[in-house]
Amino acid sequence: MKKIILSIFLLSVVLSANVKIDTTYSTLGAIAKKIGKDKVSVTVLGSNKYDPHFIVPKPSLLSKLRRADLLIINGGGLELGWLPPLIRNANNAKIQNGAKGFLDISHFIPMIDVPTSVSRAFGDVHSQGNPHYSTDPHLVLTIAKAIEQKLEELDADNSLFYQQNLDNFTKEWNDYLSILDAKMSNCQDKKVVQYHELFNYFLKRYNIKNYGNIEPLPGIAPSSKHTIKLITMMRKNNIKTILQDVYHEKKTAKFIASKTDAKVVIIPHDKGATGGKTLQEFYNNIVDKICQ
Amino acid sequence: MKKKIIMSVFLASSLFADAELEMVKKQLAKQQEIIAQLQATVEKLSKKEIKKQITKEVQNEMQKQASVNTSASFSQNAYLPDIALILNTSAVGRDISNDDYLNLAIPGFIKKGTIHLPFNKDRGFNLNYAEVAMHSVVDPYFETFAMFHLHPDEFEIGEAYVQTTSLPYSLRVKAGKFKSNFGRINSKHQHSWHFDSQPIIYKALFGPDSISDAGVQVQYIAPTDSYLMFGAEAMQGTNERSFGDTSANNLYIGYVKSSLDIGDDLSVLGGLSLAHGKNTTHHKTDVYGVDLTLREQLGSYSSLIWQSEFLQRDKDIGTKTDKQAGLYSELIYQYNNNYSTGIRYDRITKNDTDLSAYSDTHNLDRYTTMIEYKPFPMSRLRLSYTYDRTKVLDGLRKNTNEVMLSLNIAAGAHGAHDY
Repeated sequence: MKKIILSIFLLSVVLSANVKIDTTYSTLGAIAKKIGKDKVSVTVLGSNKYDPHFIVPKPSLLSKLRRADLLIINGGGLELGWLPPLIRNANNAKIQNGAKGFLDISHFIPMIDVPTSVSRAFGDVHSQGNPHYSTDPHLVLTIAKAIEQKLEELDADNSLFYQQNLDNFTKEWNDYLSILDAKMSNCQDKKVVQYHELFNYFLKRYNIKNYGNIEPLPGIAPSSKHTIKLITMMRKNNIKTILQDVYHEKKTAKFIASKTDAKVVIIPHDKGATGGKTLQEFYNNIVDKICQ
Repeated sequence: MKKKIIMSVFLASSLFADAELEMVKKQLAKQQEIIAQLQATVEKLSKKEIKKQITKEVQNEMQKQASVNTSASFSQNAYLPDIALILNTSAVGRDISNDDYLNLAIPGFIKKGTIHLPFNKDRGFNLNYAEVAMHSVVDPYFETFAMFHLHPDEFEIGEAYVQTTSLPYSLRVKAGKFKSNFGRINSKHQHSWHFDSQPIIYKALFGPDSISDAGVQVQYIAPTDSYLMFGAEAMQGTNERSFGDTSANNLYIGYVKSSLDIGDDLSVLGGLSLAHGKNTTHHKTDVYGVDLTLREQLGSYSSLIWQSEFLQRDKDIGTKTDKQAGLYSELIYQYNNNYSTGIRYDRITKNDTDLSAYSDTHNLDRYTTMIEYKPFPMSRLRLSYTYDRTKVLDGLRKNTNEVMLSLNIAAGAHGAHDY
């Protein structure tokens, strides 16, 4: 009996040592796990099968947010269409915007494509810049550092543990990056078009030029007029690669490909979107597909 | 000029204690060093005659200074609330004259001439409303929301409430005028419904505003893996169709809602609700509600939603207790981010009250179907057809057909909707 009580007590101590982290997307979740290891439990709210702008705010997500000690969001407006009502209805003071357990990673990222003027006449434009930064493998360590700082703040007792994990991860990731960069050095000066401005951070990192988007405006479905313009432009510039994500319709890309002899490649926008469990597999998938 | 500034800094600092004097001296030395450095660079650059670079440096320096603070001293622009304009307008074709339409009754629920029709009242064109919605964080403890409902001939505060953001134990308190969380559709605004018309049972029991009143609400989320929420509300109970004994606040509402996911893509949400109040005859009214929503996600932009509610009202009118009930069930198919379509069936299932004024009160039901086109998430065109068999005109059944094209926009800083 005593043993049971003791073990329950110990178990509860172990459980209470955990920082319960919710992340909006799975890349952020994987990085958080690298830093927190067994001292944290990570729940990813948004499925990587779906458009990150349009995650369905299912009530089951409320029970996940209700228990969280830390909510890590991508920011940059990517969650604007689904997360605010969930935060409002989860009745959790710890993860409110401005509270200690709320971390917006975009505040640590040098955002690109920041529009000089914002109006919905230009479609679904994010005023803070392009929020799809997690496709750039070089930003992983920036994200990891931000998460490590936050974990130290929330769980000071384990700060050495988190620091150590960050150090190890930094070494591991830098080694990985040098391999990745070497691979990509053969693929620079490639020309592509993409469906949505989803891969701009990756493309910019490796000097790949994006010539246009299948969407006429961000968040607006393709129109025949725009598609024809794109085909003409692709022929003129000899563009042979179309970057397609997993969640948009693929008919338009295939049609354009048939008219231009280009190849449609499906690129993951988030960890695990096209299979693979680890962060490295995620970036390998992007590199292999773009670089083939 | 520089000297003057340095002098004035020096003068000011001399008023402070010696220790601080030392510090200021050090700072001064540092500043001088920086100035010297800058001058050196300027000289270096001008020697090389790279004028462009100099101007760039000067600009950078000016920008740095500018970013310190040039805003108006008492500017509060950063604190402006999110403001949105929601506008709803329609074109209606109907096989009943406008005068007759106003005199329709629903047997046992709504008497002739008392039907309140704020939306789509006339054949031809209607401007239903231009609403101004505002939302803002108040401080670290509260946030506030208001919906100013502007109708061609009335102004109404649809909702205006404050709610807590930082209570412990998963609690949240709301106070002000708000739409009750009773049932599934009650708390939702007209512009977020799947059909332009209100479910018949809600209209019959509560009128067009549903249960919306001044009061307080407390909600608690249980620490369970699947969603489980309990809520309680105390409201004034001004709704005269079911309550309305406002000699004191008379309406108390309780509900429990739960949801679970079956696999990645199917979610089930169910709720049980109870509203207990006093009606205009000073006797009690109880309304029971059961709701069930199933949503299957077929892709990022495609889904199938099946939403149903059943409501029963026991209304004690002194001599007896009237028991009346009804339901609606709707199936919505969202094809992609532009198109969706849906059907709804409404029915009065129980009508145990005085129906002597009507000759035929059987099979009171309604069929509605719609197809909608959204060019962008902020705008929506919806074409609907309704066959309504719940109405009576001067004691006789009057079935009506209606075709409607409605346009709804939500412009500005309009927040995302709840599930």
